Amino acid sequence: MNYLSLAWKNLWRNRRRTLITLAAMSLSLMLVQAFHNLSAGVYRQMVNSGVRAGSGHIAVYRGDYVRSRDEKLSFAEAGLAGRLAAIPEVEGVLPRVYLPGLAQSSRESRGILLTGVDPAAELSVNPFLKQLAAEDMLPSTEGREAILGARLVKELKIARGNKFVVTVQKRGGELQSELLRVHGVVKTGIKEIDGGLVMVGRERAAAMGGIPGQVHEIAVILDDPEADRRVFPRVEALIADQPELRALPWEEAMLNLANAIKLDYASQKFIFVIILLIVTIGVVNTLLMSVMERMREFGVILAIGASPLRLAGMIMAEATLLGVLSMIFGTLLGSLATWYLVRYGIDLRALISENLEYGGVVFDPILRAIWDVPWMLRIAWYVAGLCLAASLYPALKAARLAPVEAMRHV
Amino acid sequence: MLLTLATRNIWRNKRRTLLTLSAMVVSSSLLMLSLGIFSGMLMDILASATEQYHGHVVVSRSGYQDERDMFLNIADEPQLLARLAASPGVVGASPRLRAFGLLSRGNNTYPAEILGIEPGRERQVTHLDHKLIAGSYLPDDAGRQVVIGRGLAEKLGATPGDEVVFVTQAADGSIGNDLLTVSGIFETGDAGHDNALVMAELAWLQEVMVLPGRLHEVALSVADPRLADAAAADLAARLPADFEVLDWGRLLPEMREVIASYDVSRMILVVILYSATGLGILNTFFMSVLERTREFGILMAMGMKPWKLRAMVLLETLVMGLLSLAAGITLGLLLTWYMQAVGIDLSGYLTPVTYAGGTILPRLSAVFEAKNIWVPALILLATCLLAGYLPARRAARLRPVEAIREN
Amino acid sequence: MPIRHSLFALMLLLLLPGTALSLDLAELVREVEVQYTGRSSFALVSMEVRTENWERRMEMESWSYGRDYFLTRITEPAKEKGVTTLKAEKEVWNYLPKVDRVIKVPASMMGGFWMGSHITNDDLVKGSQVDKDYTFGLLEETDQSWLIECLPRPEAAVVWGKIHYRIAKAGRIPMQVEYFDEAMEKVREILFEDVQSVQGRAIPLRMVVQPLDKPAERTVMQYRDIEFDIAIGQEFFSLRNLKKRP
Repeated sequence: MNYLSLAWKNLWRNRRRTLITLAAMSLSLMLVQAFHNLSAGVYRQMVNSGVRAGSGHIAVYRGDYVRSRDEKLSFAEAGLAGRLAAIPEVEGVLPRVYLPGLAQSSRESRGILLTGVDPAAELSVNPFLKQLAAEDMLPSTEGREAILGARLVKELKIARGNKFVVTVQKRGGELQSELLRVHGVVKTGIKEIDGGLVMVGRERAAAMGGIPGQVHEIAVILDDPEADRRVFPRVEALIADQPELRALPWEEAMLNLANAIKLDYASQKFIFVIILLIVTIGVVNTLLMSVMERMREFGVILAIGASPLRLAGMIMAEATLLGVLSMIFGTLLGSLATWYLVRYGIDLRALISENLEYGGVVFDPILRAIWDVPWMLRIAWYVAGLCLAASLYPALKAARLAPVEAMRHV
Repeated sequence: MLLTLATRNIWRNKRRTLLTLSAMVVSSSLLMLSLGIFSGMLMDILASATEQYHGHVVVSRSGYQDERDMFLNIADEPQLLARLAASPGVVGASPRLRAFGLLSRGNNTYPAEILGIEPGRERQVTHLDHKLIAGSYLPDDAGRQVVIGRGLAEKLGATPGDEVVFVTQAADGSIGNDLLTVSGIFETGDAGHDNALVMAELAWLQEVMVLPGRLHEVALSVADPRLADAAAADLAARLPADFEVLDWGRLLPEMREVIASYDVSRMILVVILYSATGLGILNTFFMSVLERTREFGILMAMGMKPWKLRAMVLLETLVMGLLSLAAGITLGLLLTWYMQAVGIDLSGYLTPVTYAGGTILPRLSAVFEAKNIWVPALILLATCLLAGYLPARRAARLRPVEAIREN
Repeated sequence: MPIRHSLFALMLLLLLPGTALSLDLAELVREVEVQYTGRSSFALVSMEVRTENWERRMEMESWSYGRDYFLTRITEPAKEKGVTTLKAEKEVWNYLPKVDRVIKVPASMMGGFWMGSHITNDDLVKGSQVDKDYTFGLLEETDQSWLIECLPRPEAAVVWGKIHYRIAKAGRIPMQVEYFDEAMEKVREILFEDVQSVQGRAIPLRMVVQPLDKPAERTVMQYRDIEFDIAIGQEFFSLRNLKKRP
């Protein structure tokens, strides 16, 4: 006897009920899948923008620089950036120098963070520079051109092309002042950047700090963020001869961002669990009703000698079919919704201003999903599995029926 | 008459009724719990942004918050403080003076922001005293004691009991300086505060800064931080024109954006939740009425008017909806209360998250909000009425014979 | 040749461009400088500061050695008595008697005003760099004075667009220094007054610093006594000496 074809027939005996249950389950599955994909897309975008402005997917530091930000913890670049760039799957390598200091114009002075970068690499990667015209980017690594935060430029009462003087402490403790010129202005929406960024070429900054050829951070950007597991050991191998240097994945280098995402995802998971719970209750409900309805029929089946086990099996087969069907339809709908969210996304610009900061990262006001197919499949299997689990109680109930009583049931 | 018929119908098939009811009870209570958790997260974000440092509403001289010019100060008058504290909605008022200078120990000197407070009053507004990782918070007569951020303490190599020097330019142009004793070290998770903030006694700072009897701001806490903007507007109308009253949304515009973006993602989730719950309830009610088509056929064959049939079903649905909602709300409140009291601690898995001047604690907890109860209750009631009405209408349109024949 | 000056001269130097490239002007400026420079100096100075927020008057004693070293100690008012500033090459330390500690001024605070005046810590440090930073040209010559225009070298670390320096022909003493921003708008002005003869040299004993965007504000430094070529050396300007009364 084929359980499945019997179950199939039984399901369609009450077509309307089956369709409603199917619809409820498929739609819930769709919602969960689509929302997960949307969040994954937003997280991906946050990570992407975060690592590009910050530590990279993998960062190289000396000692605990990432936490202490002690500018004494610089290290010789000595071609390391080039060797890192030679690793396949590495999209960009950003060596950086960070020095706290003072910027002065003829009117005002402000505390700043002098940031030395490799202009070409930085421009193609750093999201802070996204709105900067190519000709406004620093023309060289040792020039006096600087890119400043918008608020800083305003507070110093200067404008593009004007000069200003930056004073930093050299390695020996002595103060070093240099003339710089405003070459470009960036507005990121992040207070510390807009009010304190002075970006210059790496060699200029290193020379001012009395640490020529040295850097505080090398940020490694990957083509594919998923490749970090493969690339990480290769980065470690390249710095193995310098015991003071450490490679850190972005989750550790940018703990804040990683945690912001984890916390957000934790609350989402909680909601998913609730949605699945509600779906399960619906399924239990449907199956129970269908069992109640067929009490009399079951009584007859049992009376003619079918085993209660078989009866239970049949109900579970119905549930499985229901689960598999909603898994298929739900995933189809989920894919459709994901396709829409990947293609068009959700535009938040009508709701909030264009610069949005979260976890120290500016993100795009258009939320876009990405395809997380393994996850979609996994959650689809959960739904099918839950369906089966939901059938246990109704199945047990059917199996326990006493034939005579059941037949008497209305 | 209809009502008795409806109630009788409900109790006739106890099992079906109980099934339908239980689905509604469980899903509505879970929905209410989820909404409570969302409110809890929002409150956590809000609290983190305001109760660590800023307060919900800050009263200062116009322009001070933007420029931090030490001369934009106000008089430390008991009447002002009393008036602010007595304003409707205000639950705490803390007078503060702020200075920027250097904190030094041994050969290490770092820029620092020193906030002069009255510890007893400050505790009504911010909860930095809950963030100590070493030593103790300022006693009420703090004298020359200070609490400093963890990053600053580490850079200075200071532990509780150590002496540090504070140097600044006082309001008379002289060099204000004094020797301070670290009484405690706090960690908020916010790098800006942990690396530069120092809390000291107001009277001491007024003396060092040569700003006797002056304040830079009065930070207020209000009963409901979500209504801080209204409280601020109310206060602004009653204070002199050169005063500025800013609520947290205007003090921390990035914060407002974070909340706006959070609201968007919350809205999406809420829609999903409502859809899932609604679908479940629609499903259950729809089915429970649908399977009675045959019964309706018989009733109509016996002469019941279609409108009466529809009214009866609607009434039945309404009674069931109300019953299950009553139970759902009770359960929902219980769950919310449990999450509020206990919550889910994620600190083993996450460290505090900072953004835009606030820190969210790694936990999930709920907050009770009336609208998290009545909005879902009304929506779900409408959903089940719809779910009952549609099949009833359909049955009422059928000819009795057809209806009876239908399985 | 070692260049020597007092605190006053130091203030001048930071305002006044030093050795010029153009032969005549270089000579002229050097001559003016020599008026102030002994190998070393000791002076009693009073400083009056008026800002929109405070007015204060301080008395101090000051030692200098060459361009790179000076030490000044406040003697009045009582509240700040003993507060000492040491400038050695490019670093600035303050000694605070109230807490008995020496504090080095970090880079990020160099923009702060020294002792509440219109002179920043950074002015103190930059003072010794001026002759590296400017080129000079004669803008105007009258019977009484020369007006010298000082243009910063293209890469010099100065915030000014140009400086105008008026020198009296009689006695070759400075009269006025004007500071312009990059748009050549005047930002700050220093006037030299009260010319007296000290140890056979004519020097102005009063200097007035006037920020032009705040016309009500100014800092006035007045020499009450000055003595050149005193018997101190570089070792005098040490952290140890900063704490104890020499």
